[in-house]
Amino acid sequence: MALLDIRNLDLRIARGSELLPVVQGVSFAVEENETLGIVGESGCGKSLTALAIMGLLEGSAVRIAGGSVHFQGRDLLTLSPEERRRVMGDQMAMIFQEPMTSLNPVYRVGDQIREAILQHRSMSRRQAHDRALDLLELVRIPDPVRRIDSFPHQMSGGQRQRVMIAMALACDPKLLIADEPTTALDVTVQKEVLELMRGLQTRTGMSIVLISHDLGVISETCDKVAVMYRGRIVEQASTSTLFSNMSHPYTLGLLGSIPATDHDVEWLDAIPGRVPTLDEAVPGCAFHPRCFAAKGSCRTVDPGAAAVSPAHFVRCHFPQGSSS
Amino acid sequence: MTRPLLEVRELRTYFSIGRGGFMRRKSVLKAVDGISFSIHEGEVLSLVGESGCGKSTVGRTLTQLETATAGTAMFDGRDILNLTHAEFRPLRRDIQMIFQDPFASLNPRLSIEQMLAEPLFIHRLVRDRSEARERIAATLELVGMDAKSMNRYPHEFSGGQRQRIGIARVMILTPRLVIADEPVSALDVSIQAQVLNLIKQLQRDSGVSMLFISHDLGAVRHISDRVAVMYRGALVETGEKRQIFETPRHAYTRKLLDSIPRLEKRIA
Amino acid sequence: MSVPLSIALVFRRRALATFGMCWLLIVGIAAIGAPLLAPFDPLEFDPFVRLSDPGWPHLFGTDHFGRDSLSRAIYGARMAILIGSGSVLIALVAGGLIGMLSAYFVRLGHLLMRIVDVLMAFPALLLALVLMTLLERSVLNTVIVIGIVYATTTARIVFGMTLKLKRDVFVDAAICSGARHASVLFRHILPNLVSPMLVQASFIFAFAQLQAAALDFLGLGLPPEVPSWGNMLSEERIYVTRAPWLLIFPGALIILSVFSMNLVGDALRDNIDPRFKNDIAGV
Repeated sequence: MALLDIRNLDLRIARGSELLPVVQGVSFAVEENETLGIVGESGCGKSLTALAIMGLLEGSAVRIAGGSVHFQGRDLLTLSPEERRRVMGDQMAMIFQEPMTSLNPVYRVGDQIREAILQHRSMSRRQAHDRALDLLELVRIPDPVRRIDSFPHQMSGGQRQRVMIAMALACDPKLLIADEPTTALDVTVQKEVLELMRGLQTRTGMSIVLISHDLGVISETCDKVAVMYRGRIVEQASTSTLFSNMSHPYTLGLLGSIPATDHDVEWLDAIPGRVPTLDEAVPGCAFHPRCFAAKGSCRTVDPGAAAVSPAHFVRCHFPQGSSS
Repeated sequence: MTRPLLEVRELRTYFSIGRGGFMRRKSVLKAVDGISFSIHEGEVLSLVGESGCGKSTVGRTLTQLETATAGTAMFDGRDILNLTHAEFRPLRRDIQMIFQDPFASLNPRLSIEQMLAEPLFIHRLVRDRSEARERIAATLELVGMDAKSMNRYPHEFSGGQRQRIGIARVMILTPRLVIADEPVSALDVSIQAQVLNLIKQLQRDSGVSMLFISHDLGAVRHISDRVAVMYRGALVETGEKRQIFETPRHAYTRKLLDSIPRLEKRIA
Repeated sequence: MSVPLSIALVFRRRALATFGMCWLLIVGIAAIGAPLLAPFDPLEFDPFVRLSDPGWPHLFGTDHFGRDSLSRAIYGARMAILIGSGSVLIALVAGGLIGMLSAYFVRLGHLLMRIVDVLMAFPALLLALVLMTLLERSVLNTVIVIGIVYATTTARIVFGMTLKLKRDVFVDAAICSGARHASVLFRHILPNLVSPMLVQASFIFAFAQLQAAALDFLGLGLPPEVPSWGNMLSEERIYVTRAPWLLIFPGALIILSVFSMNLVGDALRDNIDPRFKNDIAGV
């Protein structure tokens, strides 16, 4: 049984009197000790999916319109808020893009980590303090004994993200959801943070859902990848399968959009046009207005997810690669 | 070799942090600390480095948005760092800047026509409104926008379109040097590629010189002829693009290149 | 929000603000149509009906000179609008200019803002009192004095907002296009200040009423013969036990108008650029 199993998740956002779909029919599973990457551009629904898993959509304009989120065999969407709170932070934890705004600037980082521990574990403050120290060491903050009394603004961006990871790991979660954890960081720091996350995974055996717009980050870190476009998963496969046999024109377009650093390309294969806004309805396949392979049926019929090979799903009438 | 269009020598830009005053000591941030480089006609030089290394300050100093502390910058034989704002104003036509954030760089209260007409009238490149409109229409089409968009306001456009408008505002003056400060980093991946292609195309067609400031090594490799690597206010390595990317000499350049997440590892 | 304020958006689903706007419209109509609406001459003495109870024909009763209170109240609306708009105009133009110029030209700002700080060290009413004692009692002087008092707070607020706008990239872009200082200030920065200034104006309008009433009450504001709500309060205060309605009516008018203008101001504030929302915290 998968640790996290999401089936047909539907999310809608309230716009005036209308409910516009923002995530449609999203299904994926994450096994223990596995890393799933969700890649897509802004507004594709990848972050909303994460927030839905964490139960953080309450009070927002986004409603869960259907589907199930099974975690360790229990459907999180049917739990009471109280039961849910017990799971969150204890069994699963989340880290965000901006480590400055996720930390409270008026408390020392040690106190914040300790609070995170004490919310789910009963132990003395002394023990919690020692645990916080261990965690800072675990995320390789140099000189943790001194750093535990620092305020967030006294740390660099990379260090703050390490503190966030330490807080997330406070209760040995089974699942870590990381929403663009390295986007605000420099490449050299990004490399260190990603290496840290991989190392922690090997040590603790946790599963990770890594959300990113960067195919490079995904390819280096993840076992499986789900590519999202306009609220749907358009392609899903193991990382090696996906990169050796990309089938959806959007995935290919994303790859073609990234300028290489190890060879020269004259022109980038950019995807034309732009992502339609939420209130622009697109009949048929949502990607067809920008797709190089679009033909008649793409304009009218929304393609379902089909397997091009075992465990490689594509939502496209004319998947590339496999046929040629 | 001919004289370079821009020759920067020992440029320093320092900021004083905190207002020095009663019981407080003034401290100095050396954002740019003695860098030298040159750009020839029609050449694209990239300034690459991580956040806080001072690369944006270089661009802002060359456009007099910041004041240089020391050094010279000879543009076409004149030291532009010694000019007063008034003396520099006519030169702004030749030295133009593309900004990073397409949402913040367009005044929300001005229509696209008003925005693009302003530099034309300031530099007396057109006589009247109809001539301005003609030129605006042509420039908008050049950057891949519909000429009719000139009647609309910035909030009606997506990020990518706004950045195209920002580029139109620069190209409409037919400048000789364009300073592009992280022009695509605020955009989505697929839009980044469109705008990078556009900048490269416009640069080729017009032969304008460019200082391309970026932290994105892929974009830098795509667009530039030469690359200067900046670290903590100083240049650690300058060279031809291929040399920098294939046989980097400085340890920091190597570290930077090593840090890029690679796609190809898994493909192989 | 980057589009200009839309009136429909401001008042939709805001019953209180709509009520406030309606009341202000009534005051406005009373001010314009005073000669037609007022049943009596507000200045005419009638010794036979001194301090008469509210009733027919004197709906609000009469004062100790036998003047019709309702007519004086209707003409008082004129003074309210005149003083409100006059001080708003002075406060916004003077305060706005000082604030913008101080934020844009740093050296000049050090000088001007220190002067503003000194003026702001006085409580608003005290400053108005000091200035009024130096001047003659007249409508124009009252407007000028109240305008100056609120010009100081306006200057502070505009100073802060201009500092923020000055750091905006589009200002850099304008400078890079070759725009001159005047163009940057008035073409690029000023239009972005219009909506927050509108909100500020509504608060000044409201507070100017209170300020004027207080000056009138202390005998330092408008000349005593001018029919204004503040003067009505001031002149009849000794009759508070014999004819309380002479104070209740003008008092209620002042409170209602100030309250209405504040409601409208709050509604406007909810619709401006969120960055400036905290800058305008009243005057």
